[in-house]
Amino acid sequence: MSNNLIEVKNLKKTFGGLTAVDIENLTFNENELTSIIGPNGAGKTTFFDLISGFQNSDNGDIYLNDKDISNFQPYKIARMGMVRTFQLTKVFDRMTVLENLLFSGSEISNESLFKSIIKSKSQKNYEEHLRDKARDIMDELNILHMEDSYARELSGGQKKLLELARSIINEPEILLLDEPLAGVNPKLAEDILSLIKKLSNKGITILMVEHNIEAVMKISDRIVVLAEGSLIADGNPNDIRTDTNVIEAYLGKDND
Amino acid sequence: MKITNKVLFVVFLTGLSIYLVFALNPEGAPRILLNLFTFAGIYGLSAIGLNVHFGWTGLLNFGHASFMGVGAYVTLLLMPHAAGREGEITSTGLPFIVALIIGILSAALFGLLLGLPAIRLRGDYLAIVTIAAAEIFRLLVRDLESITGGVYGIINYTENLQKYRPNFINSLSESSGFSPSQAWVCLVAWISILITVLFLKRLNSSPWGRALRAVREDEDAVRALGKNAVWLKLQSFMLGAGIAGLSGVLLAFNYGSLETTVFVPLLTFYVWAIMILGGVGTITGPIFGSIIFWVIISETDRLAFLLFENANGQQLAGVRFLLVGLLIMILMIFRPSGLLGKKEELLLDVK
Repeated sequence: MSNNLIEVKNLKKTFGGLTAVDIENLTFNENELTSIIGPNGAGKTTFFDLISGFQNSDNGDIYLNDKDISNFQPYKIARMGMVRTFQLTKVFDRMTVLENLLFSGSEISNESLFKSIIKSKSQKNYEEHLRDKARDIMDELNILHMEDSYARELSGGQKKLLELARSIINEPEILLLDEPLAGVNPKLAEDILSLIKKLSNKGITILMVEHNIEAVMKISDRIVVLAEGSLIADGNPNDIRTDTNVIEAYLGKDND
Repeated sequence: MKITNKVLFVVFLTGLSIYLVFALNPEGAPRILLNLFTFAGIYGLSAIGLNVHFGWTGLLNFGHASFMGVGAYVTLLLMPHAAGREGEITSTGLPFIVALIIGILSAALFGLLLGLPAIRLRGDYLAIVTIAAAEIFRLLVRDLESITGGVYGIINYTENLQKYRPNFINSLSESSGFSPSQAWVCLVAWISILITVLFLKRLNSSPWGRALRAVREDEDAVRALGKNAVWLKLQSFMLGAGIAGLSGVLLAFNYGSLETTVFVPLLTFYVWAIMILGGVGTITGPIFGSIIFWVIISETDRLAFLLFENANGQQLAGVRFLLVGLLIMILMIFRPSGLLGKKEELLLDVK
């Protein structure tokens, strides 16, 4: 097996006349923390949608561990170990924080209708074990005191934490984070950032879309820059900082 | 169920509506009550099934009548009955309980077949498809006269259930002037409710129930976490449809003859009204909602008579629905989560 965990070839997606993503060749390596940056409308989220199966590409192949996953259903891709979060946080509003985590942590077989009717002892034990696991993660992320609150009562930052906790409870191989720091206060952003670093050190491969350039520069092993759907730069933070294409994309064409 | 102020209030309200029946009917109140409780039980059961769809899973199902219809027609046609214009007699058939189980399974299967193409639709799109499917079902049943009896319906089947009627019902009916056959249907309906409620209580707190609620809250997040949202929705659709099928069978036995006009969209809307009254997402809410709903339906004639002296029957029928609508509006203003619903889980806000 190669070191390339994710490999993308000739990936193309257009909306009408607008090219959202057009990438010839891009690979992501195991254990790397890669940030994807670019001006608004660069196609970062669409790229996430494509590799996580939430949108179908017009053309091209996506490989995960050398397996072609193009146009797979999102839940199948997630089961293969690639879990994503969303730009607009998606927590289960009218379920408690604990329930959010229990659902996410539960195996599919544990949720079968038959088992839930029988209520076997093994299911009870499994749920007990799941609850402990969920509490550990909540403790780690400082949301344990909120475990019985409805998720919709959480602040924006806490929702981000909950979503993150939900994605890592089953120890995915790859984590796709779509703007994990958006709308989060500086203190919490710091915490989330160190958590991401910690996950990366644990061996999880992380792809992150983020607008906070300072944070991106600080923690990324590698930065991929997209503009108008195409790849314009790819390298370590120091290279990117001085790349003329990148400076032009951010300052020359796009003023925000 | 914990005894809270909310529960006490609901019990009080239900008691008050039953008292109203006695107050408005100096004579024959017990018989009216029996009729009312039979309908309330059957419709309540159906609303409990709808709650699995909408309250638990967030599926906007507006074709509930067709699930009731499939259950009723399959069950009746499998038992001895007479059907069609000539009243063609089928004298052999399965025993009641076997036919009933097949009927319930058929309703669930119909839910699966309808769900396979439709369940990927979100929100109101699903509502449109289900209401259309229910109408197609009803018109098909009407036109397949050689099998279903068409507009002439099915008769002579009640004995299949009534032959199991226990003796104490006969003696009870004699002393109180009840119709023994309706008393038996009423008892069966409320036993069915009891079993269904216990069954759903078990599921509500289970991992399966939790997964359904997650689908209700955010389908995309469910899929991003590796769960098959479509399959979860299909299971929910089947379970709710099965419960509706059972209530459809009971409805047929309460009427004594079955016609396609029973399963018009209005039936679905009644069931929706009952579910909203009782509390979306609750298990026992629809039972209370159903009793109150039927007290209003059956007693508004007399209430309206007190209000408008010279009203005729047609005008009274209008007043009836006016009162139901008014009650739902008042409820939505002061208790938007229904009688037993949780305020924190206000579920009547479809995205």
